[in-house]
Amino acid sequence: MVSDSIPTAPIPSAANTKNLGKKKRTNRSAKLKQCKIDARREQWLSQGAVKNKGYKDGGDDNHAPPMHARKDGKRSLEELEMRPTGEENDGSIHQDSDLESPSYSPTSVNSSLLGGNNSGTHFTASSSSSSSAGCCSGNITGLDDWEAVADALAADEKHQNLCSETLPEHKTVVQMVSSCEMEYGSNLGTRESKPESALLISPASGNSRAWRPDDAFRPQSLPNLSKQLSLPNPDRHCGGGITWARTAPPYSCPICCEDLDLTDSSFIPCPCGFRLCLFCHKRIIEDDGRCPGCRKPYKCESIETEARMLGGSLTLRLARCCSMIERS
Amino acid sequence: MQASRARLFKEFKEVQRERSADPDIQLVCDDSNIFKWTALIKGPSETPYEGGVFQLAFAVPEQYPLQPPQVRFLTKIFHPNVHFKTGEICLDILKNAWSPAWTLQSVCRAIIALMAHPEPDSPLNCDSGNLLRSGDVRGYQSMARMYTRLAAMPKKG
Repeated sequence: MVSDSIPTAPIPSAANTKNLGKKKRTNRSAKLKQCKIDARREQWLSQGAVKNKGYKDGGDDNHAPPMHARKDGKRSLEELEMRPTGEENDGSIHQDSDLESPSYSPTSVNSSLLGGNNSGTHFTASSSSSSSAGCCSGNITGLDDWEAVADALAADEKHQNLCSETLPEHKTVVQMVSSCEMEYGSNLGTRESKPESALLISPASGNSRAWRPDDAFRPQSLPNLSKQLSLPNPDRHCGGGITWARTAPPYSCPICCEDLDLTDSSFIPCPCGFRLCLFCHKRIIEDDGRCPGCRKPYKCESIETEARMLGGSLTLRLARCCSMIERS
Repeated sequence: MQASRARLFKEFKEVQRERSADPDIQLVCDDSNIFKWTALIKGPSETPYEGGVFQLAFAVPEQYPLQPPQVRFLTKIFHPNVHFKTGEICLDILKNAWSPAWTLQSVCRAIIALMAHPEPDSPLNCDSGNLLRSGDVRGYQSMARMYTRLAAMPKKG
């Protein structure tokens, strides 16, 4: 059958990825230990540095699991595109069984053993991983842009090819993946809004292990992430969705990195619009009293107290007007 | 001091993530002390520092980010705004123009920018500053290139 031939292909590669991932992590700790600055410098200076750097990039980051998941997803996405889309829906039901286990490979091996009896099971499993992987990246950045779907698919396809080609040399893959992940996140984000299957998946895949780092935050983070994309947030990052999710909903204070609460987030102490938490603002007032955003001194004590007392957006708007008037 | 720690930890994580984002900067935190950082920056292209890798030492004060980090070159560099012996850097954002919104990463970027655009009018290295101020760009460049070769490039052989 068709399904018999297809499932055999991804299994070894998935196992490969897993093993390589382990190797990477052990290497990483060894690497970190001997990371004398001079050594690094020499490395960097020599031409081979590029590879090593990518190597380290992958190893150092704590989002290795999602990367694997995504890689797997990308691979199987390739399969998905060769299939009729209807199968994606079937797969969505079974997707947990596939991704739930941290070791992707044993499960698939099992199911391939079963494949003799029940080829349909494995079939759905492999396709499901792809759909949920799409969902994964979708949750990292929630873009509801239909036009980008095509781009995402195209980019994905290209990337897959690259991935599958370079899989043996995991260094390059890792580097590539980590550098492209940002782009992926935003592109793939579109997929999440596409099929109903993906929507169905998202609550279920909260349990799956592939999501472990950010699963708790995923539902809430969705709407905020797109917002954050437009902000010049230093948090913007190219890794897995871990920190995205953590800082997404409140948008933390850029000075102390604590989350902004409601009062803080409606507090605009300077006409330049630079926000910070009240605590940092107080510390700055006591220190040199200049806005971190524009380095102009915070002029208006009265406004600040007013804002603190009332805290509403109306007052704040008034405060801003006041400060404009005062300044001009 | 708790705030500075939290902030530095966040910067640390950011650096881990974005290491590939800025290929010219490698920022490394000391293994045991989060207030000590080391950076490696590449000399900007089309400057006499091109091809060199310069090491910076960061000493972050407890009041960070309200107070700027203290940065100095560990690699010898011939630059009007860098003290030739101590590596001290004369850069406004490390002094009075500091803003808590800056990060260690952005300081590195600012230093790279300073390397590309020296300010001979507030020199810490008078020889270098005088060369530039007297209009001897070529002299400055060849000196700077020589020291880049000597100090910031791998030894040959």
